[in-house]
Amino acid sequence: MTAVSSRRPGPGTPAVPKVGDTIPPLERRIGLPDMVAYAGATWDWYQSHYDPDYVAAKKLPGPIVDGQVFGALLVEMLQDWLGPQCFVQSIDFTFRNLMFAGESVRCEGEVSAVHVGSADGAVTEDPSYVDVTMTVTTLGTDGRDDRFAVKPASARVLLGRADGTGRP
Amino acid sequence: MSLLTDEIRALVGQRRVYTAPEPFGAASGRYFGLAIGDDNPLYRDPEHARAQGLAGVTAPPTLICETNQYSGLPMDDEGYAGHRWGIQIENTREVRGGNAYVFGRRLRPEDVVTATWEITDAVEKTSGSGAAMLIVTSRATYTDEHDEFLAENTETIIFIDLGGQS
Repeated sequence: MTAVSSRRPGPGTPAVPKVGDTIPPLERRIGLPDMVAYAGATWDWYQSHYDPDYVAAKKLPGPIVDGQVFGALLVEMLQDWLGPQCFVQSIDFTFRNLMFAGESVRCEGEVSAVHVGSADGAVTEDPSYVDVTMTVTTLGTDGRDDRFAVKPASARVLLGRADGTGRP
Repeated sequence: MSLLTDEIRALVGQRRVYTAPEPFGAASGRYFGLAIGDDNPLYRDPEHARAQGLAGVTAPPTLICETNQYSGLPMDDEGYAGHRWGIQIENTREVRGGNAYVFGRRLRPEDVVTATWEITDAVEKTSGSGAAMLIVTSRATYTDEHDEFLAENTETIIFIDLGGQS
């Protein structure tokens, strides 16, 4: 997949995000070789995700990007924003429109709530967290927004810890 | 005619359990990171992972909810080798509604994953364009070999009535 922007945590990464903060967006082009790699990595060789003859017979414009990859990209965006000391505890996303091989998407979001827990650091029964709302937009060939791939989406991300707390 | 038949209602509560034949492995997480273009060193650099307090490398969090690795199922005629309920409703179009994941902890290469799938709900609704829809909700709960909670994946599949069209 072609990363359009690099978003590793930098000096601008907020220590404690605030409600309304925007998340640095993640853009990604997904080509057919990426989809073949994804099929292998997930043990999912369903033909609609890589076989042009199969999708042509179904009267689709091209191989369909597996929608669950959007969840992976949203988590990538969150972890790149908050760095390694965070843990995505939950995420949900609703599909809107299909994405096809060779298209690009932009993931984006903003902070909707912040909870400051009872203690700093990795060991606490009341960890700090942020809630975020997000979307995934498929871009047209001119780079402009074309249609939503995912809307709505939301997540809760624990702060100050690289791992989870067990079943929430 | 209602899409929510007695046959569909009877599916609610059905369960299927799959246990992976081997540990998840470090290569699976590294491969997935490569496939989606996520170069996070947590997936490939054990020293970096340990510096963050982890036991070693992990996998991208959503992989456990996306992979069929644990299923041990053969490929069907369309190449799919994962869990399916096999629900087929004539004169409908099947689309995916969405997913909701909950994570307990990061996956470790030594984890032997068990996935327990269950149909939790089936409900009929009407779309904005007036078409009848059947929404089937399933939940997969993923645990390790000690029955420790790893993750949960709730997903919806929607069957849209084509109203006589094929």
